[in-house]
Amino acid sequence: MSSPAATASLDHPLAPPTATGIPNKKILLWAFLASDCMFFGTLISTHLVYRLHPPPGNPVPTQIFNIELTSFSTFILLMSSLMMALAVNAIHRGNLRSMRSSLLVTILFGLIFLGCQVFEFNDFVFDKHVTITNSIFGSTFFTLTGTHGTHVAIGVLWLALMYIRSFKPAGASGGGWVGRAVVHLLVFAATAVLSLYSLYHLVHAVLAGGAAWATVTGFLTADLAPVLGALAGLGALRWLGRAHGPVDFDARNADDVESMGLYWHFVDIVWIVIFTAVYLLEYVFPAAH
Amino acid sequence: MNPSLLSTVPGHPPAQGRFFVFVQIAMILAIITGLELLIIFLPFPKPLLIGGLVLLSAVKFLFVIFFFMHLRWDKLLLTCVFFIGLVLGGGTLWALVSLFGATASVPLSSLP
Repeated sequence: MSSPAATASLDHPLAPPTATGIPNKKILLWAFLASDCMFFGTLISTHLVYRLHPPPGNPVPTQIFNIELTSFSTFILLMSSLMMALAVNAIHRGNLRSMRSSLLVTILFGLIFLGCQVFEFNDFVFDKHVTITNSIFGSTFFTLTGTHGTHVAIGVLWLALMYIRSFKPAGASGGGWVGRAVVHLLVFAATAVLSLYSLYHLVHAVLAGGAAWATVTGFLTADLAPVLGALAGLGALRWLGRAHGPVDFDARNADDVESMGLYWHFVDIVWIVIFTAVYLLEYVFPAAH
Repeated sequence: MNPSLLSTVPGHPPAQGRFFVFVQIAMILAIITGLELLIIFLPFPKPLLIGGLVLLSAVKFLFVIFFFMHLRWDKLLLTCVFFIGLVLGGGTLWALVSLFGATASVPLSSLP
């Protein structure tokens, strides 16, 4: 793992000079992340404090958690972090096409994570009858994981906007640029909704019927339209993403992509802590029935 | 023009080497996640399990902040800024859990 590339210090030769030698937007984002650490620290500590001495009648977490689904979503978020790091690496090398591909995969993984959270929340509320208002556990759990999910959703939106921004034509106004960008974003939103809808129903079908070919074919029969819509949306995104000439986005925008990456990685490390403190520890200290 | 940061700056190492670093780290993170899932079902003493979980999470945490978030290759000031917030948040967490975990803090409704 040790190589010249791994040990050399980072530089910002294309950014305006600053007193610290670090771009201002980068140092301010780190300051924001430090404040967000304190924000999540309080939410996590609130959850843990109320788990120390749960009141009678509180739900038993190990009976409602689906640790397989949570582990899958944790893995997905880790892989999205990898793709984000590769996107930043690509724009540092001036490779715009690779950056766009990596951003799209990061967005997709982020949406899968959100889909898993939506599924989990629905399962807790409608099947397990744990809501944000009917128990202390529900209040602290949904506040903490919901806040984290909101951060992920904002990150996905930021990623999408960064992706769209990378198509801005160089030079003049570029006829149709804004309109094309709006259409691009709408197609992305529609594809995301259809994909999440399909994924939600697929997961529901697998959990209900088991991981069998019959379950998948049953799902495709019942939800063919949204699946086809999602696939069509992916094709449309690929067509909209084709090159239209030189663009006003290159290695000089690397600091912007890096700032985006810092936010996304922070969301990932918060989930690392939440996964351990909220989910895994419950299996080490199983609550009494 | 489509400049690359690295091709125009003399002496700056190419980022191609970091690609493999990132992929290797992602594999390590995935393996650690699997280990965490494994150890919660092992019949070991609770302090050992908790210590193992905390250690594995800390390793994942540090890998992400120092490699994916580039702190290893950035100036020390950024590490200090982030760790100030991290220490304050972590310290608050530790203090609250210690305070409410004390025997005198057990709520009356939880007493047998």
